[in-house]
Amino acid sequence: MVGSQEFRNKIRSMISQKYNLEFLGSNFDQIASFISESKAQKIYSWVQGVIEKKIQPITISSKKKYKDWRINELMAFRHPFNIDNVEYRIMFIKVKNSFYIEFHLGDHKYYDTVRKSLDLKKGSY
Amino acid sequence: MIIYNPCNEELIKISRTKKQIKPIDKKINIIMIDFNDLHSLFYHSVSKSCIAKNILPKKPLKVTITDYWNVVNEAIPTIMNEKDKYHKNIRFLILYTEYFKNNRILDTYELTREIEKFKNFKEILEYVKREIPIVINKSIKKSYIKKYFYTQAGYYKNSLEYESQRYLYELSHSIAKGAA
Repeated sequence: MVGSQEFRNKIRSMISQKYNLEFLGSNFDQIASFISESKAQKIYSWVQGVIEKKIQPITISSKKKYKDWRINELMAFRHPFNIDNVEYRIMFIKVKNSFYIEFHLGDHKYYDTVRKSLDLKKGSY
Repeated sequence: MIIYNPCNEELIKISRTKKQIKPIDKKINIIMIDFNDLHSLFYHSVSKSCIAKNILPKKPLKVTITDYWNVVNEAIPTIMNEKDKYHKNIRFLILYTEYFKNNRILDTYELTREIEKFKNFKEILEYVKREIPIVINKSIKKSYIKKYFYTQAGYYKNSLEYESQRYLYELSHSIAKGAA
């Protein structure tokens, strides 16, 4: 198992940027502590794919504000995975042609909340 | 009220409350539908497949081209990332396309059969490129299409280094050109 701090540090070191990447999620530390070494390696390899622009982003045309940006200035990278048959999602948010701002990790319910805040989800289903 | 959807092994809970229920079997996914979303294409499709559909609440269907484009916009990058593990991710894409193409709401069984017709993710991308410009152009006013899809193309223009965004840029241009 990887520790949650080790997990954050590894991702921070991979993206190497001055802007402080936020790690968010209602049970982030607990979920991170469940991640095995092999699952963590897969996640790091996915992050590397994001950095190398091999992973396709979802862009949203909404003009609504999201923190310091408009939603249409952002792109979201989604990574689903499961641990012991429980599905989790990572949502990695980047400002277009710029830095990464948020790394979300959570269960389906948390993921739905993030989607709503990014205007990706219109209804409750 | 709870509906069981055997196609996806999921329970669909229609409720006025936000209270969560936890299944004993963790493999079963629970989808919450708020009473305000009973007009959605998703609910109309699921309820059509239900044996006890006569006792389910009903609301008239409300679907817009914007809803449809949001589905396409999210499905394309997801399909390209997941490659041939696309089955779960294209349900909305096929549901909306078939609705606008044939004015038909597929139930969950019909939807599964439609999805099984595709051999791989490349066939889906070809299907989208071939069908969607025709489907959208016959569904709404040409003036609206030009305005909406040229605007959409503008959003993709800054991210053309990504294959999915290039695909969506070309697709939105192709839809707008169809209305010219």
